[in-house]
Amino acid sequence: MKRQSSTVSESVLLEKLRQRDQQAFQWLYDQYSAALYGVVLRIVRDDEQAQDLLQDIFVKIWKNLDNYDPNKGRLFTWLLNIARNTSIDAIRARKAQPNTTIRTDDETVHIVDRQHNTEQPNSDYIGMQDMVNQLRPDRKQLIDLVYFGGYTHEEAAQELDMPLGTVKTRIRAALQELKQLFK
Amino acid sequence: MKVPEYIASGILESYVTGAVSDQERREVECMSAIYPDIKQELDELAIALERYTDQFSVEPPESVKEKLLAQLDFSASERPDAVVRAMPIDRTEGGGSLSFQTTWVVAASVGLLLLIFSVFLLSRLRNNQQTIGTLRDANSSLQAEAGQLRNRQSQDEQILALLRQPETRNISLAGNENAPNGKLTVFWNASTRQVAVDVQSLPALPANQQYQLWSLVDGKPVDAGVFESNEVNAGVQLMNRAIGRADVFAVTIEKRGGSLTPTLSTLLATGQVNS
Repeated sequence: MKRQSSTVSESVLLEKLRQRDQQAFQWLYDQYSAALYGVVLRIVRDDEQAQDLLQDIFVKIWKNLDNYDPNKGRLFTWLLNIARNTSIDAIRARKAQPNTTIRTDDETVHIVDRQHNTEQPNSDYIGMQDMVNQLRPDRKQLIDLVYFGGYTHEEAAQELDMPLGTVKTRIRAALQELKQLFK
Repeated sequence: MKVPEYIASGILESYVTGAVSDQERREVECMSAIYPDIKQELDELAIALERYTDQFSVEPPESVKEKLLAQLDFSASERPDAVVRAMPIDRTEGGGSLSFQTTWVVAASVGLLLLIFSVFLLSRLRNNQQTIGTLRDANSSLQAEAGQLRNRQSQDEQILALLRQPETRNISLAGNENAPNGKLTVFWNASTRQVAVDVQSLPALPANQQYQLWSLVDGKPVDAGVFESNEVNAGVQLMNRAIGRADVFAVTIEKRGGSLTPTLSTLLATGQVNS
């Protein structure tokens, strides 16, 4: 599925969405659900939970449409942030559940380990393309930790046992590299 | 901070990856609204991340879409809060009532603090007013005292000037049978016509009476002014009458303020001016 921004301009779409137009919502869903589902899966790593979350996420989007300000940022970015934050909140809540049989520390390590191994093919969910693999592994690891793991820079520095300054420098380098890759 | 430095600082990368505090987020949004270069860099970074996440796209099962279409109510009249009720867990409402309670507790606390502070201020104000009253009283009594002392000083200076002059004579007056122990001195300067009295010993008088000094010239009494006994007003008393001539000085007891003619029955002391 590819987005075709030429078909419907974003402002017209937003206008129709705010009028609670069903067609506009279907269009939004068709355009973005795969990308958002990919993000959710990447964060929670569980089909069933990811589907529930995706549903919650679109309800949230629907509910908060009036809060979206096109001047402050791009629509896709806004949607991604809702998906990311909802999913990160969900795994944090899962980790914080007292009745879990796995110790919290173990699970943290478990999740982080999986995030660390993103350069290994993960054929279950992710059809990674060559472009992503062009990104330097250490930079990719950082982006995944911060962007998909919801780590703060301080937490990432602690997790990877590197100075905070290095984390900040590498994140900037990683984003600049991404920018060049997708130009 | 200049725009290129701001772009190079890494804050924009932190912003797009969601690793910023609320304050930093507002700052970045503010800066990007002002500077087009920052806005452009931010957009480019956002697009890069969008395309990055696009790489991981997975088609969700059709069931999700069906559930959503069934769950959401598509009608122009629908209010967003109808969707809120449809949510399995409504965090905003719980959070709302909590913050509502908190608001009341905070408001009540602030109110109580203000009340306590007001009472404190009021008591301070009352204390200060009392202090001011006391100070005002003390000040006026000190001023009165200072005035008295000033009067006394100018009087003393006049007396001293009188006593210093070589022409000033002192005449001792001794008490007669009306005042056996009576004794006073009259200082008199014929050229300046000034007279002063220094009471050494005279009986105390009732409040409605005063001693009066007379100068006798050729047997005729001339009023030389009234004065107090030494018990009431110690020291030399300058008389407020001018006396140019005198053969004898005499003292009688008169009504307060003095009389035009002496009451001879109360004559109690005389003194001869030795020429």
